This record gives sequence, structure tokens and C-alpha cells, in this order.
Amino acid sequence: MTTMAFFRRLYEYRDLLLVFVWREFLVRYRQTLLGLVWVLAQPLSMMALFIFIFSYVLKIKFGSVPPVLFYFSGLVPWLFFSTALNYAIPSLTNHHVLITKIYFPYEILPLSGISLAFIDYLIHMIFFMLLLVLYKVHLTWNVLWYPVLALQLLLFTFSIALFLSGLNVYYRDVKMATGFLIQLWFFASPVMYSIDNLDMKIKILLFANPLTFIIENMRRCLFEGRGVIMDQMVLVTVFIVLLCWASYKYFLRIGRAFADVI
Amino acid sequence: MSSEYLIEFVDVWKKYAMHHLHHRSLREDIVSIFKKDSGETLKNTEFWALQRINLSVRRGECIGLYGPNGSGKSTILKIIAAVTRPSRGDVTVRGRVAPLIELGAGFHPDLSGRENIYLNGAIVGMSLKEIKNKIDEIIEFSELSDFIEMPVKKYSSGMYLRLGFSVAVHSSADILLMDEILAVGDARFQKKCLDKIRQLKPNRCMVLVSHSLQMLSDFADAIIYIEKGQIKEG
Repeated sequence: MTTMAFFRRLYEYRDLLLVFVWREFLVRYRQTLLGLVWVLAQPLSMMALFIFIFSYVLKIKFGSVPPVLFYFSGLVPWLFFSTALNYAIPSLTNHHVLITKIYFPYEILPLSGISLAFIDYLIHMIFFMLLLVLYKVHLTWNVLWYPVLALQLLLFTFSIALFLSGLNVYYRDVKMATGFLIQLWFFASPVMYSIDNLDMKIKILLFANPLTFIIENMRRCLFEGRGVIMDQMVLVTVFIVLLCWASYKYFLRIGRAFADVI
Repeated sequence: MSSEYLIEFVDVWKKYAMHHLHHRSLREDIVSIFKKDSGETLKNTEFWALQRINLSVRRGECIGLYGPNGSGKSTILKIIAAVTRPSRGDVTVRGRVAPLIELGAGFHPDLSGRENIYLNGAIVGMSLKEIKNKIDEIIEFSELSDFIEMPVKKYSSGMYLRLGFSVAVHSSADILLMDEILAVGDARFQKKCLDKIRQLKPNRCMVLVSHSLQMLSDFADAIIYIEKGQIKEG
């Protein structure tokens, strides 16, 4: 029921969502010299830095996976998550003038932030696929798990973005904490490391973060050609779907008072 | 069929809290998510912004709200726009509402005039198709065709308002809310705006807020005096 209502509301206001995404996209690269090159600048520079530190200075190896692929495969989902949060969290408070004057489904604002991050994600994915071809990675049918994992990533990002952007309307502490929270989350996710050789206890702790499951399995189905472990997959999916439902419910409920408290 | 009411308020009350929100504890918020506030009583830092408001507006009608600052006029507009909910009472609004408040509130300074027409049009509830069909008319009305590809941050404040007004009056909404927006541009353009509104009036329902009694009595079928959140009779 909730899902239907969500899509119906969104469908009714689809033009507004489209216009918001289009505006942010235009505005972001206006008066910049390099324009869209910026989309690739971040993952490439971070990857170069990781390779320098871990492969040259610390001499860490990841089995047979080339470091370029290893880091990029972690950075692509991570950058989607962090960029989406960075856009979405202040999106409601940035539009306080609109929220206090005009009714529209307020989830459109964090959603347009997520959509913008998703455009970057698609560009990163195209580049990533080129790398896979370039490095002649041998893919198996298990690569079909990749879009499923990407969908999990999308839903998880949506839940967290909705939850935090709504909370930020009440407490600006959220915005203050965002930078620091995202940094901590980065180190808690296996972007620049792999959890393979860790203790079981630590593994379980890290799996409390759904991004751990998502990123680890993305690498597994791409580089090792293996499928996901079904029990884990079901557990994480159920968790993410429940989280999504709960955060949307919560957003609708507190959204009624946004204009009064923003 | 008797003429249809587009807006109906029956015994509407609205309370606001005076305190800053950071003082409110998280617990109180979480509890209020699950428990519906009965809204009957005031807690110590709350006050009534509206009390016992009854009003109804038919299609083709225009009402004017008049009263000192802080009397609750804008709160009424917010309730009609469904931006906020009344604490008590029943509100019925039939049809699409376009709040023409703070013209250009949705403008982005880095976008051109044309791009901002799309942005603001979508914000006041027009579909992209509708905007595309009306864009020439909107630009013509604003008299800004020479500057329409320029970023609006380079516009003068008068040009800004003119563009905002032009978008707003081309919306096809049934209910138009206007909060002190009729002081747009120079005297000539102002007259053009007033003529446009007069032309729209028969098919719409309008709620006008103004501090100018002269203006209200020109346009409104009825003027409602509001003071301290209550309607003053007579």
C-alpha cells in the first residue's frame, strides 16, 4: 500500500522532480571550466591516492585483482552513497522558503539529490565497465547479481537520506555531523580494504553496515565469479526493505509539520 | 446546483509554539510522532495564531484579508495551500492551489530567465507541457524578451518580480493566493498586472492579502478584517 502511494504521489509531481534534477545538474557545472570532467576527477584521484599509499608505500596485494579495479569497484558504490547523502541532507532546509509556502511531496527534494548522485553513478559505471574490458576481467553469469546489489545500494541510500534529511529539519545538528559521519562510514565500509582476512567477530561487526555486504559481494561476483550467499542476501534484503518502509513512513509523518518547524 | 465552494473553513484554530526548537527534547518529538495531539489546549509557550475562523469562497469570488502585521493572514493562506494543518476545525479545499507569494522565491540566480520560467512554473504546479505551451506568452507578458537568456542574478529587482508575476498568473490553478504581490514594477506594469488579475477572476477563486484597503475594495467581493487571529465582524 505504502509503495503504491509513494509512486502515485511521485507520478503526480514527476515534472517537478524532473525540473529539480535538471536545475541542480545545470547549476552544478555552470561557470566551471572543466564541467563534466569533475565527475570523474573524484574517483580517479582517490584511486590514485589509494594505489600510492597501499600498493607502493605499504605494498598490500589483493590476490589476483589489479589494484585499479579493486579500488574503483569500491569507490563507485561508496561515492554514490556519500554524494547522495551530501546532496540530500541539507536539501529540505535549503528550500525552506518553498516548504513554508507551497505544498508538494517534500521527498522530492532529497530524491532530486539522490537522482543527481545517480547520474554521477552512471557515468562512473560506464568508466568502470571500460576498465573491466581493458583489464580483460573474465566474467561469469554471477555478474547478474551486480544489478541486484546496486538496487540494494539505491534503496539503502534512499532510506538513510530520507531519514537524515527529515531529522535535519528539526535538528541542524544532523548537518553539522554529516561530514564527520560520512568520514566514519567510509572507514567502516570496505572501500579501500577487504574483509576477507579478518576475524569472524570483526566481520560480523562490519556486516552490521549493509554497505559491507553490498561492496564485498559486488567484488565477489565481478572478480571471483562467485554468487552471493543466499542466507545473507535474504537477510540484508529484508533489512533494507524494512528500513526503507520505516523511513518513508517516518518522513511522511514528520513532513506534516515541516512548514511549522523548519 | 448552487455555486460550488472552493474553500471552506469551519471553526478553524491554529496554534504555534514560541520557543526555539532546539530546546525541545527529542523524546517529545518522537512521542508526538506516534501520539496525535488533541490540539484542545495550550502549553505554556504556545499561542493561538488563529481562532474560530469561518470562511467560504466560491469560484469567481475574491476575498480580501486585511489586518495588522502578525494577525494571522498569512497563516490562513498557508492552511489553504496545505502547507500547514489547522490544530482544530475542518478545512475543505477543492481544486489546485497556486500560491503567488514571494514572487521569484523559487528562482535560481545562476539560471537564465527562460530556465527559471520552467523552474518556477513547475513549482507553482504547472506541467512541463503546459509551460512549453505558454512560455512565449509568459515572456511576452513579462516584457523581458531581450533579457530572457541572461542569468537572473543580473536582473534588477523589478525585472525579477515581473518575471515571477508573469509565471504565476499563467498557472491554470483554480485557487490563487496572493500575499502583497501586487506592487510589481512601475505604475504601468502594475496596471497591466491588475488588469490581468481582473481578467482571470471569473474562473478562479482568489484570496488576496494586502495592507491597502483601496486595493482590496477594488478587487475583493468581501473584505475580512482579522485581528489577533480572529475575524472582526463589521
